[in-house]
Amino acid sequence: MPETDLRTEYQGRLLAVKELPSLPAVLEEVNALVENPNSSTEQISKVIAKDQVLSAKVLKMVNSPIYGFPGRISSIQHALVLLGFNVIRGIIISTTVFDAMNTAMVGLWEHSQGCAIASSTVARVIGCKDPEEYAVAGLLHDIGKVVVAVQMPEAKQSIDELVRQEDLRYIQAEQRVLGFAHDRVNLWMCNHWNLPPNLKEALAYHHKPMSASLYPKMAQVVHLADFLTRLYEVGSGGDDQVSALDPQVLRALGITAGAWEELLRQVEEAFAEL
Amino acid sequence: MMGRSRHFFVLTPHEDLRQTVLGWWPATEVRWTVFPSGRQALEELLAAPPDLVLVDARLPDMSGFEVVRLIKSENVYRQVPVVVVVDDAGCLQGRDLAALELDDFLVRPLRPVESAVRVLLAYHRAARELDANPLTKLPGNTSIIHRIQDLIERREDFALGYVDLDFFKAFNDAYGFARGDEVLLMTARVLVNSVRGYVQGIQFVGHVGGDDFVFIVPEAEVEGVCQRIIAHFDAIVPSFYDPEDRERGTLLSVDRQGRQQEFPIMAISIAVVFNRGGQLQHFGDASARAMELKKLAKKNPRSTYVLDQRS
Repeated sequence: MPETDLRTEYQGRLLAVKELPSLPAVLEEVNALVENPNSSTEQISKVIAKDQVLSAKVLKMVNSPIYGFPGRISSIQHALVLLGFNVIRGIIISTTVFDAMNTAMVGLWEHSQGCAIASSTVARVIGCKDPEEYAVAGLLHDIGKVVVAVQMPEAKQSIDELVRQEDLRYIQAEQRVLGFAHDRVNLWMCNHWNLPPNLKEALAYHHKPMSASLYPKMAQVVHLADFLTRLYEVGSGGDDQVSALDPQVLRALGITAGAWEELLRQVEEAFAEL
Repeated sequence: MMGRSRHFFVLTPHEDLRQTVLGWWPATEVRWTVFPSGRQALEELLAAPPDLVLVDARLPDMSGFEVVRLIKSENVYRQVPVVVVVDDAGCLQGRDLAALELDDFLVRPLRPVESAVRVLLAYHRAARELDANPLTKLPGNTSIIHRIQDLIERREDFALGYVDLDFFKAFNDAYGFARGDEVLLMTARVLVNSVRGYVQGIQFVGHVGGDDFVFIVPEAEVEGVCQRIIAHFDAIVPSFYDPEDRERGTLLSVDRQGRQQEFPIMAISIAVVFNRGGQLQHFGDASARAMELKKLAKKNPRSTYVLDQRS
């Protein structure tokens, strides 16, 4: 398959489409479930959904042209049914364990998990179908940061320094160093992995959700969830500021003052279980 | 000799084997990708399958036969020919070669001309694979009939499921054939993964053509398999509709008389015929009985399965 790399403004270097890291604990847990013939797809998909990199790989595989329905599947559980345990095992075996990720981006995993839970809670409260698909979008919303941290650790250092020295938000520092931010990296990865348009828009537009043209709702939900995750300080997205909440989003999602309080209560409850 | 350039994989930690195969053909005819271990090759294999795999039985991290098994047990990769390099042909003895689906093997020390020719033959043999359904690569009619007839003659008990989709034609008409093919490929995966992994004993999935599929499982397992197929299919099929149709829960299309009509979201119907104590005489008995049952299943617009109650 032809692989198109993404050129950054950081010394003109490229982000390459290549092996991404994953987390060892989740791999072991999934492996144990896959080896056990009594495991259900629900159990396995719940564990996989906790790991952004493994989730992305599974979705990438099921949406690849080999299976013949690119861009259709955005649920981890559906992906498991269609791939089968055999292929899942193959994906896991081939996933190199990259311990450096935890140190490369401290707190991002917790932030991503928090955003996943907040996304599905928001989706459920406002009555969206398939809230679990919103959780996938929340989980993967910052994956572009991981890609940059792993492939261009020096650029990541410059971003961190800018955040510290000039008190910038992470996304502003990314723009200064790379010429664009993780939302652009997300779009590039989604295109390369043939992810469905709803996920693609949520990942690429979670910072400007009113610009999403096809599936604004998913982008709006993740935008709000990202805000809530930072508000409650679950994990870290790379800086200690609360992301800007676009007031139009609340209106677009039909969240009134009364619904807002109920939403906060439910999100708080969900975070408490983390 | 070979028309367009081919892409072969060789999985070996041994430098001598690597050097040997690279010398077989000019790079303009065969492009080799070399992997020193199975682990490294797996992701490439799954994501971009090559035209042939030559695998060393001695890999540092897994058995070469494990690689064969993984490739051959998935309908989307099964057509890739696999040749194993062994130290002694004795290690193939006693293996279930029919189940392994290995295409050929080479024994060390490799004989220069013979080895290259045999690998090339394995490639061409696989390319001639006639029976597989060209879309799903599942076994086609010839294999299906042989399999059923063989079981009947051996007087083995089994349950035979005939599967087809309701409102598939309306979907095809509204969205076009390419979108219809996506649904057939999805259905094939749902069938394969609903049968395999859960069932002990005989298991088979075939594609008759169009939206008609069959599966064979032991009698005791068949209800569980039907329920799994229906649950999985019903959960996944809405993803194949446009968002507005999915939201509405119906599809606007034309019926067989050419009239505009609203159709429900596709459903899956399964008719199950049993062979108990050798009651089926011939493949024709099974399919005739299944066609009657299918009419019953079709009366329900929702996904449903009907078991042959004839004792």
